[in-house]
Amino acid sequence: MKTSTTVGTASAYVPVDADFKLKNNAGEIAIDTNFSSQSFWKDVFIRYFRKTSAVVGLVLIILISIMAVIGPGMNEYTYSGQELSQKNFAPRVKFLEKFGIFDGSESLSTTTGSMKINYYEDKGLDDLYYWFGSDNFGRDIWTRTWSGARVSLIIAVAAAIIDMLIGMSYGLISGYFGGKVDMVMQRFLEIANGIPRLVIVTLLLLVLQPGMLTIIFALMLTEWVGMSRIARAEMLKLKEQEFVLASRTLGAGSFFIIFKEVLPNIIGPIITQVMFSIPTAIFTEAFLSFVGLGIPVPQCSLGSLISEGFNSFTTHPYQIIPPIVVMALLMLSFNLVGDGLREALDPKMKEM
Amino acid sequence: MKKTKATVSLLTASALVLGLVGFNTTVYAETGTSDLNIMLETPVESLDPQQATDGTSFEVIADYTDGLMQMDADGQAVPAIAESYDLSEDGLTYTFHLRDASWSNGDPVTAADFVFAWQRAVDPDVASEYAYMLSDIGQVVNAAEIIAGEKDKSELGVTAVDDKTLEVKLNVPVSYFLSLMYFPTFYPVNQAFFESVGDTFGTSPDTVLSNGAFIMDTYEPAATAFHLTKNDEYWDTERVQLPGLNYQVIQDSQQALMSYQTGALDTTLVNGEQVDQVKEDPEFQTIGAGYLWYVSPNMDAVPELANQNIRLAMTHAINREAITGDVLKDGSLPTYTAVPMQFAAGPDGSDYSADQERYADVCAYDADKAAELWAAGLEELGISELELDMVVDADDAPQKVAQVLKEQWETTLPGLTVNLTIEPKKQRVEDMQEGNFQLGLTRWGPDYADPMTYLGMWVTGNSNNYGLWSNSDFDAIIDECTTGDLCTDAEGRWARLYDAEKLVMDEAVIFPLYTQANAEMLSSKVTGIEFHPVALNRVYKNAAKTE
Amino acid sequence: MKKYTIKRLLTSLFTLLAILLVLFILMQLMPGSPFNDEKLNETQKAALYAKYGLDDPIIVQFFRYVGNMLHGDLGVSYKISKNTPIAQMLETRLPISIFIGGFAVLIGAILGLILGLIAALKHDTIWDSLATVISVIGVSVPSYVFALALSYTLGFKLKWFPMLYTVQQSMGSSVLPSISLSMFTMASIARFTRSEMLEVLGSDYMLLAESKGISGPALIFRHALRNALIPIITVLAPLIVDLMTGSLVVEKIFAIPGVGSLLVNAIQSNDYNVVISLSFIYSAMYIGIMLVVDILYGIIDPRIRLAKKGD
Repeated sequence: MKTSTTVGTASAYVPVDADFKLKNNAGEIAIDTNFSSQSFWKDVFIRYFRKTSAVVGLVLIILISIMAVIGPGMNEYTYSGQELSQKNFAPRVKFLEKFGIFDGSESLSTTTGSMKINYYEDKGLDDLYYWFGSDNFGRDIWTRTWSGARVSLIIAVAAAIIDMLIGMSYGLISGYFGGKVDMVMQRFLEIANGIPRLVIVTLLLLVLQPGMLTIIFALMLTEWVGMSRIARAEMLKLKEQEFVLASRTLGAGSFFIIFKEVLPNIIGPIITQVMFSIPTAIFTEAFLSFVGLGIPVPQCSLGSLISEGFNSFTTHPYQIIPPIVVMALLMLSFNLVGDGLREALDPKMKEM
Repeated sequence: MKKTKATVSLLTASALVLGLVGFNTTVYAETGTSDLNIMLETPVESLDPQQATDGTSFEVIADYTDGLMQMDADGQAVPAIAESYDLSEDGLTYTFHLRDASWSNGDPVTAADFVFAWQRAVDPDVASEYAYMLSDIGQVVNAAEIIAGEKDKSELGVTAVDDKTLEVKLNVPVSYFLSLMYFPTFYPVNQAFFESVGDTFGTSPDTVLSNGAFIMDTYEPAATAFHLTKNDEYWDTERVQLPGLNYQVIQDSQQALMSYQTGALDTTLVNGEQVDQVKEDPEFQTIGAGYLWYVSPNMDAVPELANQNIRLAMTHAINREAITGDVLKDGSLPTYTAVPMQFAAGPDGSDYSADQERYADVCAYDADKAAELWAAGLEELGISELELDMVVDADDAPQKVAQVLKEQWETTLPGLTVNLTIEPKKQRVEDMQEGNFQLGLTRWGPDYADPMTYLGMWVTGNSNNYGLWSNSDFDAIIDECTTGDLCTDAEGRWARLYDAEKLVMDEAVIFPLYTQANAEMLSSKVTGIEFHPVALNRVYKNAAKTE
Repeated sequence: MKKYTIKRLLTSLFTLLAILLVLFILMQLMPGSPFNDEKLNETQKAALYAKYGLDDPIIVQFFRYVGNMLHGDLGVSYKISKNTPIAQMLETRLPISIFIGGFAVLIGAILGLILGLIAALKHDTIWDSLATVISVIGVSVPSYVFALALSYTLGFKLKWFPMLYTVQQSMGSSVLPSISLSMFTMASIARFTRSEMLEVLGSDYMLLAESKGISGPALIFRHALRNALIPIITVLAPLIVDLMTGSLVVEKIFAIPGVGSLLVNAIQSNDYNVVISLSFIYSAMYIGIMLVVDILYGIIDPRIRLAKKGD
């Protein structure tokens, strides 16, 4: 059964001027005179901020981003500056140390028994404070955590946005045109997706110069597939709906329909997917760090900090905690924001 | 409320599923045996003695195979399958007299087994990576020609005079020839058995044959766990006290240490971070691993590095004590010579590199001197800033060392920026071989107990002479010591080798860093494991374990 | 339906061949060689390349490989386990990875569904937040950290489970690796279940069902969950493939002789045949599972079945 909705195969009969004239008013039809377009976004705004968890998520993202910018500059250390005589110092904070926490001591469980050590006291460094402790090169973990957060955020957001653009366009086009176009595009996608991601990513990192751009590129190449699936599914759902038909009858071109008519209607799932693909990107980067193909040392990302801290997990567990907590908070807040946005953008869920 | 009920029932159902699994396994307990439980870092790559190239494979092959010679506790070659040997006057012919030993299928070990194995080693079709052990290093007659495809493998200078007599002919006298005989490339292979298993040789317990202390009884290619049992038919079986060897590959060092603490392992490697946890433990020890780690500057492609002052400044700026003491912490030794410590003993039995002060004036840490040389070098080049790139393996230790080097160089030498390129070892090696690097952090392990295994690298045109350094005096000395007059004069040769090494150090052809050591835990119940930095890293023939 | 399935099968086969070709081309791009560069001279390297036919044009290698594969010959390993037929290596390793991965999928899917259901049914309550937090921890803590934490507490301290994988206790020693692997699946499933359930619960037909007097478990499971399952399966399918083809990190930590660590080692040491074989198995599983999912859709959603019939 062939459906008549597909453009181009509609019928053998081509309208002539004598019948009627296509209005071809692409600019005007985007304006909906029944509801003002402004109130929709206002509505979204209000609905979003009514949800506490969504607000919490947003605030957290903003806070972490601010810290990622100013955090590394808050003390005298740099992310790469080493002081080998001050390595593996436990966290110590000026005020809190009076309460017996963050006082620079840690208990080291050795094979011969557990012992409490405080390197600050042992070495007589009373005026020294490593807020999150120092790592095995004597680098400040506070500074490294925030510069790591900066790197991870840049990589993840860049990768997610590029993914979105590529994946979304691909999915929308494939879904809209259907038929042979869809068939070819989906086979291509299947091939791209059928090759283990690890093979593609490691190969890329081997061939190209390692660095932030390469990692973003590698993530982009592997993550767009999920986005395109969602866009295509949504397109398939929407393209047969009345408003698309209406728009087409009014003479709108394919790309106008795809990007002006359908896209705004699926922005909800898309944004949600972006919010969820940011954590995936952070995570994939962390895996690359574990395999040794992440951001080149001595630069760091949350992922590389975790895999560095991992080696001291049973000896100095405090080294892995800051990057993990920041990563978890980032993931949590992106998820909360994603959820909040989806509900705010989807008026159907208003009553929930 | 019914909704919740449904959820609750689902919850309990799945909890039950999980619980069942848990229940079945909580009865688990460690099984203690008197086998020696050994931790390996990497799986075995090959059980074919002529194909194997890595230390792990060598160790395991040697567990169940004896060559003509074996290593004693001090690393000296002592007779194994060869009961005795004669050396001709001119030093060119070795005649080995084999003892009565048998393979685990009952066949006797004969001279023909060695001939077959050695011919395999040089056979271009087998393409053994260690073929050069017979040619360049062993100097066996015709080996080089056979490898190059110019002669048939039957022309190799090794013949079975009779079942128990093996005759080996050399091109030139080789002072360390006997110590090559415990290297697995020279181990025998039973031809009839090899042909009966065909291509599957060395891939399962059924496709390997033992003539050594143990017999392989469980094994799979690249297995993470395998087991060997004592060989009762071994010619020296009274000496072997362990009932078996239980190997476990553990790539994560923290898991390994925890397993050791539960008693599942009798020996394990410890990484730098964990040394703090175990350094007070009497079971903790460090063992020399032989590898020399060094930085190779590319003097050919980088004009700035062709400047000797720049190179000397860089090597003087390295604080090797800090690298080994603060970062590696595994007992690695700071090294100021081009040949690492503790693997090559001279004619008088002392370590070739025991004196670390010998070249201290051209490489020891001295920030002021480094800065001075650096300034001089920059002036000669007419520049004020220099940016260099260093290729580094994507492994844990090299990355750590590289980060410290970067920091030390950049703080001591004003105007220097060092960028690190981290890549998998394969690629790093390829980059260096193709001259596609500026600085390279690399390592070299000794193949045989002679300084030549290192010094031979910096001969003009050698493929491991990454910096493409060329010095005719150096080449002449090396020639003299390998094929020239000094072959038979052990003391004279030894002295000349120092002359050659001095040239390398004076011109800062490499920046030696440290001689690698491994930090290990060894259970106090275990005695008699012999550790060696060359060829066979661990030998268990004399080991014992008390309960 | 039959015609459709056959057509799908044929295109899948074609896709697999295309993937294989792409893999061959990718292998050419890989820097380095599988043979020990440091110790071999040029003549020896050339001899090795000739021996394994690596000096032939790529297209010749490709067709030879496909030809051999039809006989069940996947080639030999060049580096990881020299000259060992890869089929022999996979024989023992693949089942282990599939078992542990399958176990992880089971745990992850069940727990994820439960968490997601709780969150959706108790929307905007403390339960919802709790479920969200649990699932977020699941996606934000890398599996190797989980693995080591589990091994330290349940293995080393409490001694409930073995810390390392052993063939003798394959069941018990699979528990910790499976749990650490399942976390990500659990979290993803929980998230999608929650959002899909919310959407379904808010739909008109649920209102209709409710107004018809259907309530309780029947409403949730027969009507709501069934409709929410399609997207959940879509999400689960690729995860299944990922898990069943082994995980490098978990295999490394628990010393599991699976295929995940094999793939990474093979890529890093240029062991071409191992990379190609493992990637191919991955692709085949992936495409196979996608096929199954498509057919499952038909079972879960009658509308699709009908549409296919009309096709």
